[in-house]
Amino acid sequence: MKNLFTVRKILSLCLCFSILFAIYSAYYKIKYWGFDLSPNRTANVWNIDAHISFKPTGEPIQISLGIPVSPTEFKILNEDVIAKGYQSSKDTEQGRINLTSPAQTLNQDIYYRLTIYDNEGGRGKLVDNEVQPPKKPVYDEQQQQAVNTILADAENFEGGWPQKIIGIFNQEPLNPTLSAFLPVKISERQRVQLMIDLLAVKGIPARMARGVRLEEGKQAAEADLMLEAYDGYKWRLYDIHTGKAGLPKNFIVFQRGGKSLLDVQGGVDSKVRFSVLKSVTSSFKLASHRASNNYSKMFDYSIYGLPLLEQNTLKWLMVFPLGILVVALMRNVVGIPTMGTFTPMLIAMSLVKTGFWPGFVCFSVIIAIGLLLRAILSKLNLLLVPRISAVVIFVILIMQFMTIIGYRLEWQIASSAVFFPIIITAWIIERASITWEEDGASNATKEIIYSMITAIATYFVISNESVRHITFAFDEINLVILFIVMLLGTYTGYRLTELKRFTPLAKKS
Amino acid sequence: MWNWFEKFCSPQALKAQGVLGMNARNYKIIAKNNNRRQYPLVDDKVQTKTLAAKAGINTPHLIGVIEYQYQVKDFIHIVKDYPQFVIKPAHGSGGKGVLVIKHWDDDCFVTASEKVLTFKDVYQHISNTLSGLFSLGGQYDVAVIEEMVDFSDRFKDFSYQGVPDVRIIVYKGYPAMSMMRLATAESAGRANLHQGAVGVGLDIFTGKTLNAVMHNMPIFEHPDTHADLRKLEVPLWREHLIIGAKSYEMTGLGYLGADIVLDKNKGPMMLELNARPGLAIQIANGRGLMDVIKKIDKTYPKGLTPEERVDFLLNQTQANPK
Repeated sequence: MKNLFTVRKILSLCLCFSILFAIYSAYYKIKYWGFDLSPNRTANVWNIDAHISFKPTGEPIQISLGIPVSPTEFKILNEDVIAKGYQSSKDTEQGRINLTSPAQTLNQDIYYRLTIYDNEGGRGKLVDNEVQPPKKPVYDEQQQQAVNTILADAENFEGGWPQKIIGIFNQEPLNPTLSAFLPVKISERQRVQLMIDLLAVKGIPARMARGVRLEEGKQAAEADLMLEAYDGYKWRLYDIHTGKAGLPKNFIVFQRGGKSLLDVQGGVDSKVRFSVLKSVTSSFKLASHRASNNYSKMFDYSIYGLPLLEQNTLKWLMVFPLGILVVALMRNVVGIPTMGTFTPMLIAMSLVKTGFWPGFVCFSVIIAIGLLLRAILSKLNLLLVPRISAVVIFVILIMQFMTIIGYRLEWQIASSAVFFPIIITAWIIERASITWEEDGASNATKEIIYSMITAIATYFVISNESVRHITFAFDEINLVILFIVMLLGTYTGYRLTELKRFTPLAKKS
Repeated sequence: MWNWFEKFCSPQALKAQGVLGMNARNYKIIAKNNNRRQYPLVDDKVQTKTLAAKAGINTPHLIGVIEYQYQVKDFIHIVKDYPQFVIKPAHGSGGKGVLVIKHWDDDCFVTASEKVLTFKDVYQHISNTLSGLFSLGGQYDVAVIEEMVDFSDRFKDFSYQGVPDVRIIVYKGYPAMSMMRLATAESAGRANLHQGAVGVGLDIFTGKTLNAVMHNMPIFEHPDTHADLRKLEVPLWREHLIIGAKSYEMTGLGYLGADIVLDKNKGPMMLELNARPGLAIQIANGRGLMDVIKKIDKTYPKGLTPEERVDFLLNQTQANPK
């Protein structure tokens, strides 16, 4: 008795440790590798191409491009510079990438390629405490008057000052004073600069933010602009057309403040054009990709560092322990007798491949035909091994027949026949047939039905997409299952079916 | 719905009755008391017979063993001096593959259930036995041919065809619980309770009926012969118990089931032993086995000879009269 107690104690301890380990590694995988608890979550992945082009002047070339540096709102998967003959260096502090090259003669095309994905959790605001009060622009008297009028008119718009000013700039028709104040031909950039100037009059620090609005299929577009104003303790972004505050979901900032987005020395007619390509990936793949970039050592020795084919095989294998647990529970706790220990699990696996109803119908038909043929066979009184061999061949022929018929009649159900394990099916037929002869048809059907019930229960567990995802992505859970199964080996309580079987004993007193 | 639930009882109620469940039997009793190395001794009927002879336990006389397919056609030579004989698989279980020939001549064999077989049928049966059709796990087997037991008439009215046998559960050498299994028309002459045979729980001290069940339900008379099951009493009960007690020393198994039949002339004879006896005996007895096992563990003395143990057991009745 004492001996038993320690075995249980050790196993329980192991179980506790394995649970703790599983929880920790799940936490680690979610936090650092970005794994998800639920399957099929997708994330948008954006490929942004910044295409820099210019004509060289014959002097050594220096290029400086503003780039997003660890933006909180997006996570960078990958970045890449395609610039032949250039030396590139990244200045993470300034958020710029610098490229240098000796003099060139031909027109230059340089690509900066960025792959990012949404980070829903990371949409915060920039906190910046050291902001100098803005230098007020200098206007002549006439201009000053116009500015005063504009600001007075702007008062009528809703929101804070940045929004008021964006509002009046986008009024339809345009305020006559403002219309007169603005140059006739005005670029987007100049408009934003004017807004910044007006805000400066009001004493509000503001700056331009250049970035890319992530829209599918964007081709060779200029950088998009946003107005960023300081509200006392943090920088807030404003849409320059609607005045809407906050960073839009689909905007990534490349460069903020006064510096230009692109500086090219040793070239003229320089411009940068952005192209955006959107793709949707499962967040799991994405996480694997990211984890392999950032935590390569750990990751390389995990399942997810394997080629996809091996991963799929393992994903299939990783769900088995749970199926085994179900069978063990059904046999030792529920007390359902099955034909062969893991036959139900093998049937369940086939059902996963065929789909439930097609597989179920198909399997029943194979067993029925097999039993019929086996009944004829038993008249011949063959020896055991040749007889079971004959049954195996029967099963193969039935499967072949059903597949052909299924294909010809376009009967999906029948063509799933090939997925059932041949030898197991043959043994089920053989055993059912012997039980039939010895204990009668009812016992044989009972045996088959019990096995099918267990198989179906197992099927519903292992076919669940979430279950399969979790057993694969958080494969430490299999260690937990191992100890649960081992603990089950020390279970000495009654089986559920025994509660019925021994009822006469309990009712007696 | 609720009716259906009433078919179940609570685990506490079973525990209170000391009912031994399958998991507890396997884990607490069999795994502890039965060394796996000793299983072949009881799983192989040829070995069991040899051992029994050494231990002084009566078993049906062994006529011969057929080991290879080529010997099958000569089985007539083996049995030629015996008007009756029984063919069994050496590794069979639950009465599977047992063929009882009541009388025979050159081309006609009559079984105990009056079925007439040809030489070819019997030949086929032996051949199937050798290829493992009836054996545990389907491995190759040998066929044992033994003399038919000359059954005592005592139980003639209590069994429909077939052989009424006494099953004694022996725990650490002490007979713990016993029952008699009676074949019925439904069980087709077999003595397996789950096939519809009648189980009669026998008082371990006296060999008299305690309780009788069929399909888990209490009954009082045999469904086919209508004999009053309460009147069943096994004669030579002490000798039955001694066979059970001796099989402990013979095999070294702490928990076993001994199947014993009563021969008209030779008295109780051991048919076979079982290292994993089932739990239906509890239903037949109307009481749980766990209580008895605990009692044996706690209060029964160790180190006695089989006869001393049986006598100790039989004295218990006088010590604690019911």
